[in-house]
Amino acid sequence: MITPFQIAYKNLLRKKARTLLTLVGIMLSTWVLVSLFGFNRGYEAALNRDIDNMGYQLMVMAKGCPYEAATLMLQGGKGLRYMEPSVVGDIAREPEVAQVTPILMQAFFDPNKGESGGIAGFYGVDPASYPAMKPFLRFRKGGWFHDSAAAEVVMGYEAAELEQREVGDMTMVPEKNVPLKVVGILERTGSQDDGTIFVPLKTLQRISQTDQITTIGIKVKKDADQEKLETRLYQLKDVQVVSFSQVKQTIMKLISTARVMVFSIAIIALLIAMAGVVNTVLMSVLERKQEFGILKTMGAMPLDIFRLVWSETLILCSLGGVAGIGFALLFARASDILVRRILPYAPSGGLVVIDLQLGLLTLAIIMSVGLLSGLYPAWKAGSIRPLEAIRGE
Amino acid sequence: MRQFVVQIVCFILVMCAAAAQPVLAAVGCDLNDADRDVPRLFPDSTGYKTVYLSIANRGGAPLLRKIENRLGVTYLSLYAPIDVPYTLYEVYRDKRKIGYIHGVNQKGQFGGIQVFMSQDLAGRIKTFYLQKITGSSASKFREAKFARRFEGVTLRDFDSFDPVRGKGTGRISEIVNPSPELETDFYGILRGLKKNLVLMEEFVFAPERGKP
Repeated sequence: MITPFQIAYKNLLRKKARTLLTLVGIMLSTWVLVSLFGFNRGYEAALNRDIDNMGYQLMVMAKGCPYEAATLMLQGGKGLRYMEPSVVGDIAREPEVAQVTPILMQAFFDPNKGESGGIAGFYGVDPASYPAMKPFLRFRKGGWFHDSAAAEVVMGYEAAELEQREVGDMTMVPEKNVPLKVVGILERTGSQDDGTIFVPLKTLQRISQTDQITTIGIKVKKDADQEKLETRLYQLKDVQVVSFSQVKQTIMKLISTARVMVFSIAIIALLIAMAGVVNTVLMSVLERKQEFGILKTMGAMPLDIFRLVWSETLILCSLGGVAGIGFALLFARASDILVRRILPYAPSGGLVVIDLQLGLLTLAIIMSVGLLSGLYPAWKAGSIRPLEAIRGE
Repeated sequence: MRQFVVQIVCFILVMCAAAAQPVLAAVGCDLNDADRDVPRLFPDSTGYKTVYLSIANRGGAPLLRKIENRLGVTYLSLYAPIDVPYTLYEVYRDKRKIGYIHGVNQKGQFGGIQVFMSQDLAGRIKTFYLQKITGSSASKFREAKFARRFEGVTLRDFDSFDPVRGKGTGRISEIVNPSPELETDFYGILRGLKKNLVLMEEFVFAPERGKP
């Protein structure tokens, strides 16, 4: 026996081009919607991962714009102001502090980079405290420095790749022309560490002819009151405190503005797609008025006709929805690259993360909105008066 | 017919998705600012087209072995697996192709050397450009008078000179190292140039002559 679904399916096949265009509309809006949901989830996760990979929750640096400084830090930046190393001891004495590590970021002009020269960045870290803050760093070859003032470097994977360095090779600090030996190359982390060249803090201070530092990384004790600590750190002279939870909130606020706009566009796309569904099914109902009239004279109840027409909407929405989710999964990486090009700051790792749960949620939304759109045409079909319909023809 | 169309559409979708994957394998060698660098290397050019090539998609392992044999080394470069993308700039004057620009990464004494060369359609070097080199006197290698020594050099000139051992005769052997303290870099540049010429021969000129 033929089921209402089979009848609905055959009806949709009667006007192939119209059905196909409606399906494309639903598919595109589903694609946009699921990609946006994926971005919503992926961006925050990637940002959290980047911040966790910093190894510390608070950063103290010489006075300036804290957000600019934090963004520079996240992107492995340069050009920060200096502060006295004695601040490290002051901070270490705070009861909430688990670990501190002093950092010196330095940039040197390399005249032999590009057509008119470029900047080479070096990251001075304390061998006694920095590796302990980043225990997740793994070495592809070699290890950390042999002593705290060694003329050595540890390279992130991409830095080593660009410089074509292996453990045992020499590298040079441009501008100062100081040779340093490569003692370790890190595994790829997918974070800013990949492009970083680490130097022992004392060595970089000696090369830069300074005894100062640019940054202090602070790891807060578990269950400690971070806000209380931040308030006390603000009392220190000529320094500013950057909390990564604050940075995250600021970045998320910036992103949320863009997200609201894109979500609005997605909702408009969804409404257009649903208007297409209403149009397709309503046209089909009007074209088949006589057919429904005959069905009714043969004993079909309004609910039977309603179910028949509603099934068409259900088929359109489910096929379009599944296709849209399929395309979103297939092109997730392309979406990722596109988003990365558009955003001013994109954390490392996947930005558009789509999984089964997200796919099913989007499908449920599309089907619900679609079935609501199908109510009017289905009611219209169900309420056709048989004699009027036959006479009208 | 319908099945064929469906197969083609599926294939295109899979290829698009695969092409969109970020390249994590290794860094290639691109001009930092092609819009500025191409007219500088080819003053009479009006445009260029960027083409990405790899040994993997041009001939795979047999081609890799052939290139390594021609270069005389068992590995092309550090961090350069078979699928590393090489960037080829096809240079045009109006609609007419007038030459090529191609670059490679080469290990140097204190860092990576990025060696680019511009070639005419016959495979002769017009000029070469070191986009990146590290060392106290490395700037000597970037001087115009050093680059001029390579004008007109072809792959054939390397037949009588081995840049791996630094020995041989002919035109290349007569080129003087402008920075004797950076000997590794000098031979690195020569190896980079030969690598460029061999890759261009295998990627472009040999297929054009119909000899894959």
